[in-house]
Amino acid sequence: MSKMATPTPEAKGLRQSMAWIHTWLGLLAGWILFAMFLTGTASYFRPEITQWMQPELRPATVSATQAAQTSVAYLQATSPDDEQWFIYLPDDRTAETRVFARPKPNPDAKATPTKRAAELKLDPATGVPLTARDTRGGEHFYRFHFQLQLPHPWGRWLAGLCAIFMLATSISGVITHKRIFVDFFTLRWGKGQRSWLDAHNVSAVLALPFHAMITYTGLITLVVMYMPWPIMANYQKPATFSAEAYGRDNEGEASGKAAPLAAIGPMMAAATREWQGGRPRTIIIRHPNDAAATVTLVQSGADQLNARSPSVTFSGASGARLSGSHRPGPAIATAGVMLGLHIGQYAGPVLRWTYFLLGLTGAAMVGTGLLLWTAKRRKPGTKPFFGFHIVERLNIATIACLPTGMAAYLLANRLIPVDISGRAGMEVSAMFWTWFGLATLSVMRPVARAWPEMLMVSAGAFAALPIVNMATTQRGFFASLMAGDGLFIAFDLVMVAMAALLGFGAWKAGQVKAKKAPTRRRAVSPSVQQQVREVVDAA
Amino acid sequence: MDVRITVLSRPQARSVTAFVMIGRCLTALVGGYAAAAGVASLTARLLPIARAEATGWGMIISFLIFAILGLWAFHQPRLTRVATVIWGLAALSIGACYLLGVRA
Repeated sequence: MSKMATPTPEAKGLRQSMAWIHTWLGLLAGWILFAMFLTGTASYFRPEITQWMQPELRPATVSATQAAQTSVAYLQATSPDDEQWFIYLPDDRTAETRVFARPKPNPDAKATPTKRAAELKLDPATGVPLTARDTRGGEHFYRFHFQLQLPHPWGRWLAGLCAIFMLATSISGVITHKRIFVDFFTLRWGKGQRSWLDAHNVSAVLALPFHAMITYTGLITLVVMYMPWPIMANYQKPATFSAEAYGRDNEGEASGKAAPLAAIGPMMAAATREWQGGRPRTIIIRHPNDAAATVTLVQSGADQLNARSPSVTFSGASGARLSGSHRPGPAIATAGVMLGLHIGQYAGPVLRWTYFLLGLTGAAMVGTGLLLWTAKRRKPGTKPFFGFHIVERLNIATIACLPTGMAAYLLANRLIPVDISGRAGMEVSAMFWTWFGLATLSVMRPVARAWPEMLMVSAGAFAALPIVNMATTQRGFFASLMAGDGLFIAFDLVMVAMAALLGFGAWKAGQVKAKKAPTRRRAVSPSVQQQVREVVDAA
Repeated sequence: MDVRITVLSRPQARSVTAFVMIGRCLTALVGGYAAAAGVASLTARLLPIARAEATGWGMIISFLIFAILGLWAFHQPRLTRVATVIWGLAALSIGACYLLGVRA
């Protein structure tokens, strides 16, 4: 704070002021940003994590048309009078059909509203509901990434605040960093604070375009919530904006005249022709079995960069095409592409893994930045100020303990009995109890011990995952290898890689302390954190 | 303001500095948001293109305006200048939006 205390107009250069604000913005938002980066990175494999967390589900792959037909048949048999049906077809990354039916509103206004029916998973080949262990799957990491497990809307606002801090921190970081291309190739190991700065610079600069993109596009994902004012300046009713921007929703009323629902197959073929080979992914059927029924097909997000997928609507009674979404203008298309770039649904396997690795460099950049803050302020032989202890402890609690919490979420999925009620919530609780429990425990240990110990625990938790998976399911590593089950093989390999990196970091942190402790005046070795760099780079 | 700090006693100077810092943070965060929202909305209102498109551009640029105003609030040493520019920009742009009214 002292730098800011008596600023004189001439004395403070742009680089100086930017360095100051970079430090403090980064510190304030750093811990939450680290968690957002880590869970967001995991979310690039959201459907894969969900598949891994329901190992009993192994439906055969069938054509999208067959999946659509079987699910419509199921909904016709179970709830033909609903107001609306949602069908999410399987694709390369999701094996099941998901359906969700919304019943007609009760005409009696005083009646208690019908409870929202849960989403069902259907076997795409037969349309029979699939039963599997109750879990939130990859959805949990995805939701935590921008809701932070806080009540709505506070989690989203806090995530947005951290994101705008991240944007300002990136801009000020680039201004501060004058030698951006020289430091691109500079990493001086084992030089204390200088090494932390290098590690921070390398992880930040190498992936700078990615960090800048992911931060700005992240803000854009919730722009309507964060910045609705331009809509207010142009529209009486905000709904008019979404209708103009993304095409009008066919919210027609039911006619009350019954009419059988036309076959879905020809509509899907027609949509694919209209999209020049694009695949329908979502089917929305309004007022099924009514003369005014509509069937809206939405194209798969894997087909194009713009996440606002085109759609086409057919008459449910005749099967004739009624309308299609219009091509968006440049601004709406730009926003849609930004959304697409952030969620990466368009990305194929190679690009997806690139996203995953770049996301990890984001976590590394934030983590090394946080460690740099303490490395810079550590003065051997002097008693550190109070805030220093807080930052040091929060660094351990976040960087070394959060990964264990994430592993605990996955472990809980295998260890909590499959048919116990409320197990999905227990899995989520396992993550936070483990994370905050270990964080509390780490406070009771000396800093120099807490780093290697907590990192070792996280390495152990990740190493345990393939073993526990093998012991509790039929889909262990070797069985998956025999079956050529790429997803389960890759999952185990990533867990082992995480364990190895965290274990390596724990070993380095412990080793440095043992080696250097006698030469230091204080028990807390300044170099311990510097040696955790490998882990931070990885985790 | 700098001159005044030098003649104050130390605890007094510290409280003035804290006050200045709080004012600066509030101006950057709240004022910066208000100014970004106002400028983005005014842009959306005035751009002579389809209103959905204008709205889209306004929303897209808003975060960049917010970030730059927020950073500038910590670069410019004089808080009075920071507060005048940021709160003034917010008041003018939001006021202009109100006077113009919603696009027909």
